[in-house]
Amino acid sequence: MTATLSTPATATSRRLTTSKAMVEAISQEMIADPSVIVLGEDVGAYGGIFSSTTGLLDTFGPTRVLDTPISETAFIGLATGAAVEGMRPIVELMFVDFMGVCLDQIYNHMAKIGYESGGNVKVPVVLTTAVGGGYSDGAQHSQCLWGTFAHLPGMKVVVPSNPYDAKGLMTAAIRDDGPVIYMFHKGVMGLPWMAKNRRSMGEVPQESYEVEIGKASIARRGTDVTVVALSLSVHHSLDVAETLEADGVSVEVVDLRSVVPLDRATIRESVAKTGRLVVVDEDYLSFGLSGEVIASVVEADPTVLKAAPIRVAVPDVPIPYARELEYAVLPTPARITAAVRDVLRRA
Amino acid sequence: MADIRFPQLSKDDPDADGVVSTWFVNDGETVADGQLVAEVAVDKVDQEVLAPAAGTITVAVAEGAAARQGTVIATID
Repeated sequence: MTATLSTPATATSRRLTTSKAMVEAISQEMIADPSVIVLGEDVGAYGGIFSSTTGLLDTFGPTRVLDTPISETAFIGLATGAAVEGMRPIVELMFVDFMGVCLDQIYNHMAKIGYESGGNVKVPVVLTTAVGGGYSDGAQHSQCLWGTFAHLPGMKVVVPSNPYDAKGLMTAAIRDDGPVIYMFHKGVMGLPWMAKNRRSMGEVPQESYEVEIGKASIARRGTDVTVVALSLSVHHSLDVAETLEADGVSVEVVDLRSVVPLDRATIRESVAKTGRLVVVDEDYLSFGLSGEVIASVVEADPTVLKAAPIRVAVPDVPIPYARELEYAVLPTPARITAAVRDVLRRA
Repeated sequence: MADIRFPQLSKDDPDADGVVSTWFVNDGETVADGQLVAEVAVDKVDQEVLAPAAGTITVAVAEGAAARQGTVIATID
């Protein structure tokens, strides 16, 4: 298994899945900088349960790729300490749902040491974690929780939706001198054993590059309505936009890519153009990202809105295990389509 | 011309069928020597398949289809 795949420029294309793009970024940074290390549960021999570290142990060996015992508090504390001492650790929290057992290490230490030291101590750590549902993994393995991390000051939060951004954001996160939470949805990784998703594979340059943290992208240009989304919901929103185009509806899709810093300027600019806003968020509805996006628009200039915005999020209930119930709460293409049609009907 | 064969992943069951999980290239594209072209699986064990030569690839087994280990899944001309 190769961690970095060589492809001369003569090939027609160079496609990678999101997981392989992530691994390529880590691998290239590990080659360039000996202080970059990887640790976490099953990141070594197993290669990450969602293939986020496949092949790294073979390439870099057990002193730089460390399988840890099942104590998130211990190994996330270890990563934070190593970062304070000058390493650049990438530490994996297998499922974001497990944040509860190690949150003190994350939000009281990783996130605050830089502040408490007056900026004198840097904490260049990347915390990677798998998020999202849709595959019947139950209430404790299906959450997104990016709104929770974003609410706590001191950490950047990035959420790539595609291979190109996954590589560029990982490179930027590793090089960042502060803590970055890197949240990858299992449904965008391009895993052979998950539901096929054509948007989880895409062109990725072989050479190293950064995608700027805090910069959203316009995933699709449109004029009638703005759909602000992130992660797997971007894929659904693009699918919906393609379908609605046949009905003469022009949907602009904004892929946030970063939650912290939030690119409020790009959101405002898009809504100022379309006048209508749908926010799609696989996190819980209340007290979270979807409200924050709407506040970003309304606080700046409520007069740009031609209609009240609509949120498509997970209602404030645990994620069900039963497939029918789970899909009743997830932001599915059907719910996004209904919201877009609804916001267009509103005066 | 070079054949790309389904790798032998299962020693215990060398005749077992596997599945071509993913094609990273489209039929008729030009591929480079050593380029990642596919991922295959037998009994949940995945393996990447790299192009053994440069040239134009002709896909013989569709994505998601079963194939016996050792069979030709694509050719490169």
